[in-house]
Amino acid sequence: MADGGIINAYGDTAVKIVDLILRLVMGGIFILSAVAKIGNVQVSHGHITQISHVPDLGTFAQDVANYHVPPRELSNLVAITLPWIELLAGGLLVCGIWKRASALVITAMMVVFLAAIGWALAHGYDIRCGCFGTVEARKVGAIALAEDGGMLAMAAWLAWRLRDERTTGKGDKL
Amino acid sequence: MRRTIQRALVIVFTGAVLGLAANAVSPRRIPYLTPPKVTLQSQDTIPLPEAQELWTSGSGFFLDARAPADYAAGHIAGSLSLPIEEFDDHFSQVQRFLSPDSMIVAYCDGMDCELSNQLMVRLRELGYHNVRHLVNGWTAWRTAGLSTHTGTQP
Repeated sequence: MADGGIINAYGDTAVKIVDLILRLVMGGIFILSAVAKIGNVQVSHGHITQISHVPDLGTFAQDVANYHVPPRELSNLVAITLPWIELLAGGLLVCGIWKRASALVITAMMVVFLAAIGWALAHGYDIRCGCFGTVEARKVGAIALAEDGGMLAMAAWLAWRLRDERTTGKGDKL
Repeated sequence: MRRTIQRALVIVFTGAVLGLAANAVSPRRIPYLTPPKVTLQSQDTIPLPEAQELWTSGSGFFLDARAPADYAAGHIAGSLSLPIEEFDDHFSQVQRFLSPDSMIVAYCDGMDCELSNQLMVRLRELGYHNVRHLVNGWTAWRTAGLSTHTGTQP
């Protein structure tokens, strides 16, 4: 029983480390993605050539509109608000504040992003992903779909685990 | 779970308010609601064969209205980058090549892309009257197998 306890303790620690890594990775990705949109970061040949405090929301709004998912009139509103929701949720997740709630927000956003990419691919739209603002000229495609699928899995794991962590913690004490 | 959902909604709401506030004070603020699409007149657009002719004769200037990263990833050979979203920063570099009578072709990418249309309007306001817009420019040019380049503007 003692051995089982040690193994369980190691297992718990390992899972907690995985949780921590995933939390930092997912939060970090969302912060980077938000900063790329808000900060108007320009990259050329793999190097950052410009970081401006003036956002380039016009191009991002065009990227949003190209998906034809939200009504056209609302694409600006999405471009204005989405990066800040990403920044806040990513920041909270990294800082460990309201972890489960921020993981839930990120999961919901990943579902929407994945659905939007799927919608664009299904309709054959040859459009820019816009996933990281104007940093990358990458088009929507199988790679973006796979990436978002992976990120959705990580976010969903966190939303599930971070809740479990709390309840399991209580259970362990019983 | 209920508290988590409440917190999640607080995050979404606060983020949205921050975004609205940031846009309100931004020097490059965009309208909250997307303006209606501008209907292009036939004299505003240039058909691909005519654009190609202009390019071959070397008598026209091709301006890429997309973001610099898109230009660097691939553009019509010989075109200059003039991103409409950063017009003031880039116009001085392009202005020296242009005269009010220059034949100018503005382009971006995608059937619904309005960047080149906005660039055309802006240039006309500045007195360049021979500006036309190549619809779905980058894709149309590339898929027609015409000459393209990659890299930033020299």
